[in-house]
Amino acid sequence: MEKTPISVSETVALINQTLEYALPVLMVEGEVASFKVNQGKYVFFDLKDEESSLGCFMTVWQLRMPLEDGMKVRVVATPKLTAWGKFSLTVREVRPVGEGSLKRSFELLKAKLEKEGLFDEDRKRPLPRLPHSVGLIASTESAGYVDFLTILGSRWGGMEVSVAHVQVQGVGAAEQLVRAVEYFNTLDERPEVLVVVRGGGSADDLAVFNDEPLVRAIAASKIPTLVGIGHEVDVSLVDLVADVRAATPSNAAEILVPDKREIMTNVQVAAKDIGVRFDRRLERLHDELMQIKPELDRSLKQRLIRLHDSVMQKRRLLETLNPVRVLKSGYALLRTADGKPVSTKGQSAIKKGDELKLELNKRILGVGVTYVEEK
Amino acid sequence: MSKKNDESLQAQLAQLDQVVAWFDQEDFDVEQALGKYEQGIELVAAIEERLKTLENKVEVLKKRFDQAG
Repeated sequence: MEKTPISVSETVALINQTLEYALPVLMVEGEVASFKVNQGKYVFFDLKDEESSLGCFMTVWQLRMPLEDGMKVRVVATPKLTAWGKFSLTVREVRPVGEGSLKRSFELLKAKLEKEGLFDEDRKRPLPRLPHSVGLIASTESAGYVDFLTILGSRWGGMEVSVAHVQVQGVGAAEQLVRAVEYFNTLDERPEVLVVVRGGGSADDLAVFNDEPLVRAIAASKIPTLVGIGHEVDVSLVDLVADVRAATPSNAAEILVPDKREIMTNVQVAAKDIGVRFDRRLERLHDELMQIKPELDRSLKQRLIRLHDSVMQKRRLLETLNPVRVLKSGYALLRTADGKPVSTKGQSAIKKGDELKLELNKRILGVGVTYVEEK
Repeated sequence: MSKKNDESLQAQLAQLDQVVAWFDQEDFDVEQALGKYEQGIELVAAIEERLKTLENKVEVLKKRFDQAG
């Protein structure tokens, strides 16, 4: 039976429909050849093995890790016949596989980002000391997630942990991680710290953490970042770009919060310290008083002695001046008739015929003045 | 709830630090020290109580990250 002819365009469309139905997604592994980027936007390369070769096409934005000729890669792609009849794979995702290619791609991207200064020490921000709110990016099915929360809970309490559940390996994982980082950064009330955890895995499994857009998203995070990815080998680029890197998810929890038992001990030590210092101060105060006391005693005693000395001195002086003592040694005291002692001034008033009293040691004599003459 | 509680836990730790620093002075006032001492002991008790009872609140977001938007 003869078929009705169709146009060339219809033929291409029909083939594409058939391909899409039969082979919606292909995952192909091969070696990169003739890699090139056109106009800074379009990526072309051939995927080949010993016998065959397939043209591949993608945009640079889909290229998440550097490629170069000779690298072994795994692509996720859709087969397509172009309008000009060329068959190619439209690549959705490509990533290096095998130790050599992963390493090479890692080195290329590391050198590029290092040159941009993304790993510089002065970009690193400190984590909050006791965070209230934590944005956690992890697969809730992973052991790393459980480890992190277990250790976190045993060390510290009172935090609010928001968990973004993402795939941490395989196709689309990097993109999910990027979305989660961006999600937390666009919140009005952002968590104080962003933690990305992932348990250990093979180099292939962990390749997602060498994804360029993910590295850039973490570098651009306004929230300080802590990354705890368990590695069997080397570090990932996410480790290098994060503000703080932990060796494992458990280690991330240890870095993030202090151990409450430690704080409890510190607090008890503080309480004891206060008591000790208080006691010491009281002791010192007592010592000071005890030191001052003999000094006070001594100075009081000296003052008393001085006072006593001065009294005795005055007493001796007074004794030498005592008139009784003077009379005893033969002198007489002259008084007027009415008994007033005759002063130096009073002498000039005495005239012949005056009556005076003369006091001796034992007697008082009434005497008359028989003459007055100047001395 | 935990945010407020935790804030005051931090505040209490800071207050305790201050009390300890006060006792670090060479010649602190002995009469004032009595009050400070009591304050310190109360803080220690309150902090211990909090540390023993506070738990973390973990919430897994409903938002899906396996698709754009």
